[in-house]
Amino acid sequence: MTVDVLHLLHQAFFGAVAASGFGVLFNFGWRDLRWCATSGALALTIRTLGQNGGWSLEAATFAAAAAVGCGGRLLRARLGIANNALAVAGCIPMVPGFFAAQAIFGLFALTAPHPDNPSKLAVTTMEFALRVIFAAGAIGAGLSIVTHILRSPDA
Amino acid sequence: MRRAVNIVDSTKATPVPLNDPELEQIAMTTLLIGRQLMESGARAEVVHEDCSIVAHGFGAEHVDLRSGYASVDITVSRGANTITRTMEVGPHGVDHRVSHALRDLVRRVQQGNLTPSEALAKATGLKRDTPHFAPSLVALAAGIACAAFGRLLGLDWPAFLPVAAAGAIGQAVRQLMQRRLVNVFVIAACIAFLSSSLAGLGSHWAGSATVNVAMVASVLMLVPGVPAFNAQSDIMEGHPTLGAARGVCVIMLLTFIAIGVLLAQVLLGVQP
Repeated sequence: MTVDVLHLLHQAFFGAVAASGFGVLFNFGWRDLRWCATSGALALTIRTLGQNGGWSLEAATFAAAAAVGCGGRLLRARLGIANNALAVAGCIPMVPGFFAAQAIFGLFALTAPHPDNPSKLAVTTMEFALRVIFAAGAIGAGLSIVTHILRSPDA
Repeated sequence: MRRAVNIVDSTKATPVPLNDPELEQIAMTTLLIGRQLMESGARAEVVHEDCSIVAHGFGAEHVDLRSGYASVDITVSRGANTITRTMEVGPHGVDHRVSHALRDLVRRVQQGNLTPSEALAKATGLKRDTPHFAPSLVALAAGIACAAFGRLLGLDWPAFLPVAAAGAIGQAVRQLMQRRLVNVFVIAACIAFLSSSLAGLGSHWAGSATVNVAMVASVLMLVPGVPAFNAQSDIMEGHPTLGAARGVCVIMLLTFIAIGVLLAQVLLGVQP
């Protein structure tokens, strides 16, 4: 596996910036924003490493969500951040919003009066829609499985 | 054949009070905490667990909660008395500090440090008393988050600042519309159109080769990520009705966002 370190740093940095930006939007405290950034950086690092290793986007996303969920659980006692809020903030930069928009645009284009090459358009739209479902499912499953396995009485 | 009829002599039967004031207060305090947890982005299981802790902490012997998308219902029993109450739930948002403060309140009730009336007073003022970031800072953070998200999607550098500015302006207008209680789906479509148009114009003017990505990246603060995760968790954890309702709202929001972006693309002549 070859790792482009610059690309990895780029993804981790912007994952951290996006997660902390959403942390402000979700009203995390000032002290917790650095943990949002750490969580976002960890998620994007693991996802990028997974994709570099030849994994599909969905498999890499699942691994990243599970790792961030584990990290949040392990640090929870120290940070005092309730439930899996921190892990969710870290996973936000992996939400397939762009694919969702492309899938909906594809559906609109398919229903236009005379679409160009409708078969190809239908396949592309289906591909985007499936990516949304599987990527969102991978994040949800990664977080939920960790939450249930590492469950504590005050979770 | 004569049918036996039991007639209760009201003068001899033990009177059952129609309303137990303390049980009423337990139910309303628990519902208020449950409602605020839902409005601040908690999963259904967290709402159910915390409401159960609160009601039992105040001395209820049996608690049943039903959480819907727009309301929560509770039945609490103690001795021979049982009451059922319902409360409307407002717009679902995400507010971590409110959620954290509510869970602290629940812990204090569990430890027996608060009476129902004290907890009700604290829960009533909790949203108002919890610190929030200045709206301008939230708008700026949302804009930067959108631009950073855009970089992860392949946005080029010339489009970075236009996307950040368009996202920030969109978030600022969104906050104004939320204060005016405009419908959440209408807000999504209007803000998507505004931010996407500004990002498209700005990135084109800046010489970007990724105008299409810029127009989508500038609206990513509207994507309901937390409700989407909550929908999945709720269904997995045995609350399929609430999970399905959340899921439908996520799909509706995404559709309205896409309509806003599509209108902007048509206006600017950008191919999706």
